[in-house]
Amino acid sequence: MPAESGKRFKPSKYVPVSAAAIFLVGATTLFFAFTCPGLSLYVSPAVPIYNAVIFLFVLANFSMATFMDPGIFPRAEEDEDKEDDFRAPLYKTVEIKGIQVRMKWCATCRFYRPPRCSHCSVCDNCVEEFDHHCPWVNNCIGRRNYRYFFLFLLSLTAHIMGVFGFGLLYILYHMEELSGVCTAVTMAVMCVAGLFFIPVAGLTGFHVVLVARGRTTNEQVTGKFRGGVNPFTNGCCNNVSRVLCSSSAPRYLGRPKREQTVVIRPPFLRPEISDGQVAVKIMDNGIQGELKRTKSKGSLEVTESQSADAEPPPPPKPDLSRYTGLRTHLSLATTEDSLLSKDNPPTPTMYKYRPGYSSSSTSAAIPHSSSAKLSRGDSLKEPASIAESSRHPSYRSEPSLEPESFRSPTFGKSFHFDPLSSGSRSSSLKSAQGTGFEMGQLQSIRSEGTTSTSYKSLANQTRNGSLSYDSLLTPSDSPDFESVQAGPEPDPPLGYTSPFLSARLAQQREAERHPRLVPAGPPPREPSPVRYDNLSRHIVASLQEREKLLRQSPPIPGREEESGLGDSGIQSTPGSGHAPRTSSSSDDSKRSPLGKTPLGRPAAPRFGKPEGLRGRGLGSPEPAPTAPYLGRSMSYSSQKTPSGVPETEEVALQPLLAPKDEVQLKTAYSKSNGQPKTLGSASPGPGQPTLSSPTRGGVKKVSGVGGTTYEISV
Amino acid sequence: MATEKPCLLIEFVVSLEGHNLQELRRSASLATKVFVQRDYSDGTICQFQTKFPPELDSRIERQLFEETVKTLNNFYAEAEKIGGSSYLEGCLACATAYFIFLCMETHYEKVLKKISRYIQEQNEKIFAPRGLLLTDPVERGMRVIEISIYEDRCSSGSASSGSSSSSGSSSGGGGGAGGR
Repeated sequence: MPAESGKRFKPSKYVPVSAAAIFLVGATTLFFAFTCPGLSLYVSPAVPIYNAVIFLFVLANFSMATFMDPGIFPRAEEDEDKEDDFRAPLYKTVEIKGIQVRMKWCATCRFYRPPRCSHCSVCDNCVEEFDHHCPWVNNCIGRRNYRYFFLFLLSLTAHIMGVFGFGLLYILYHMEELSGVCTAVTMAVMCVAGLFFIPVAGLTGFHVVLVARGRTTNEQVTGKFRGGVNPFTNGCCNNVSRVLCSSSAPRYLGRPKREQTVVIRPPFLRPEISDGQVAVKIMDNGIQGELKRTKSKGSLEVTESQSADAEPPPPPKPDLSRYTGLRTHLSLATTEDSLLSKDNPPTPTMYKYRPGYSSSSTSAAIPHSSSAKLSRGDSLKEPASIAESSRHPSYRSEPSLEPESFRSPTFGKSFHFDPLSSGSRSSSLKSAQGTGFEMGQLQSIRSEGTTSTSYKSLANQTRNGSLSYDSLLTPSDSPDFESVQAGPEPDPPLGYTSPFLSARLAQQREAERHPRLVPAGPPPREPSPVRYDNLSRHIVASLQEREKLLRQSPPIPGREEESGLGDSGIQSTPGSGHAPRTSSSSDDSKRSPLGKTPLGRPAAPRFGKPEGLRGRGLGSPEPAPTAPYLGRSMSYSSQKTPSGVPETEEVALQPLLAPKDEVQLKTAYSKSNGQPKTLGSASPGPGQPTLSSPTRGGVKKVSGVGGTTYEISV
Repeated sequence: MATEKPCLLIEFVVSLEGHNLQELRRSASLATKVFVQRDYSDGTICQFQTKFPPELDSRIERQLFEETVKTLNNFYAEAEKIGGSSYLEGCLACATAYFIFLCMETHYEKVLKKISRYIQEQNEKIFAPRGLLLTDPVERGMRVIEISIYEDRCSSGSASSGSSSSSGSSSGGGGGAGGR
């Protein structure tokens, strides 16, 4: 419904319509009263009848044009605006008959205006096929009432011409009685008619041309098709017939609300999933990410995934009984993939800027972009899991679909969500991303102002008017970061937005890390962005252990390699790792780290990836700051660390392999080392960090849990 | 005896839980909404994209969905058709100074009623059994087809309820044992 709150009774807006009505009715009444009797005698009785008919026509069309709903769009509901507010672009292009047409985001009505729709500032509504706002009828002229307006103009022109003409005829018949009452009145009416004839005829002619060309006044006046082709025209005849002969379009407001009588009751039917579609999603040690995810991903995902060239064989199947909602997850994950792949092409940059409702906590639609780039990470399962988690918690009331144990191995989950939700699963990715992110982002944006970064040139105008890239990239102050972290994680929806957000977050983390952790021993490691108090026992223990190790023992190449490899199976040898790490440090930020680094090492918690893979995997245009949000810690570390740091990290990772939960953690660590990470990245099981012979510059094979072999390309 | 008791306890617990779960199972909660956007490739005529949303991949067969959207598109094309009937309707309306609109509904409105019935029927037959719900696009200004996806609250919470059931069973067992 159009907003009523801002409407006050403004008498001034009724002046033109009142004047028009008075002139029309008054002059015609006088004409009928004084002129027509004489005319009916002298000329013909048909004259008044004709004039009466025309006048009736004029009145009818005038009333319809005045009182008819022009085609007002109702305001979009909150859940329609599914993505975050300030990441949405201001414009969305759509191709109409081969011509690119821009659809602008309407901040009042909260949708992208359909083509030919415009927002009337007087009425404060978006009107379909908006022509103009006519003060003489005090109404917008749009799709529904354009025909009546056009006919009003035509009939008014005819009426004025008739009144003037017959009045003149009367005068000519009564030349000798020019001072008579009737004659005087007729002359007055003629003057009024003549006065109004010029503008009305002009307007009528203008609209005749518009109708013939298939344009609206708005399009003509704003010069939309000045030099180009009008995609909305179907030829002169069709345009005219469309205006005059088409059935009256329905109104959208004030429709009778139909009661929903359909009952939705589980259990629900599910479509059969063919074998090729089944995604084996394994969220446990040594368990592989979905195969389908790899397959169904668009070229972006598959080619970018570093595991694409080094796909480990699927790990042994997990205990599926643990995951009662596994199928749901699977399907969601798979849909996420296809969603990603399908949604990638049209406007990737746009998805980055989708602002949503800042207060919306129950955005229904899945944030496409949120899941998109997360999968670019090393392990598929993490994007899947995160995608799922993002998908599930669209509605806060929805309980988490994943069991506790399901989450723990997930790197992203364990480190991403634990700090966020004190046990509440419903602080889902979406809420974290959407609400928290928005809130956090808004805070950061406000605090940051309009800091310009290198991305400013690339940033498009977003729906909330801010340059989202800037705000995303600029690190916020500690308080902001704290607030960001304290509340629901302000992780951006995965995908396009993530590179910039994570870059900002990475910087934030960097800022935060310094005051938070006391670096002990060489190399100075930054504190983990992860809040220890929320982490699981095992993870905390492993983190602490790791820290201890890092402080104590210097890195040993062999051990590093082993530990690194053992961790996630994706760490290259230190020697080989140095160079790639250095170079990959920047790439790491691009990587989509799948979770937080448990230890806040700058270099360590970096998802390593070969440069080529990494670049592909991220798919973001910006090399440096484009780590997806999951890689918060990753990107953070990557930005911060020198290349030499990771060795100790790798060493420390080794002992942490024991708990199963830390598989993901290790994955992160290994990633942080800037080493390529294989799919699944399940680190070897407890006490079994086996290590295959590392190969330099080639594919390294690492065996993980359950005898899984991972091939890591260095 | 010792083995008997746990069985009885388990039965007791299961029956309790079964009852609770049944109640839980009857509820479906709204998980998310998918919006099928308009297809403007042919201009401003009302038609919706037949592209299959990935979120529905596991919920409904592709072909069913596409068929529904295509039928809707056909309905809208019929509503907007400029032909003899719509022309006569316009003339009649003009002739009666549009008073005819007080008595008669327009061709478009008639087709919209058909569409509404069709959507209702589709919901009842196809979408609701799959936990989906189509919303008539006219309620959204004919900009989108809103498809609400419902999740089975019981099964979605089964993992947590599973864990709670284990604790519940122990407490139930204790209660049962106490009762005995």
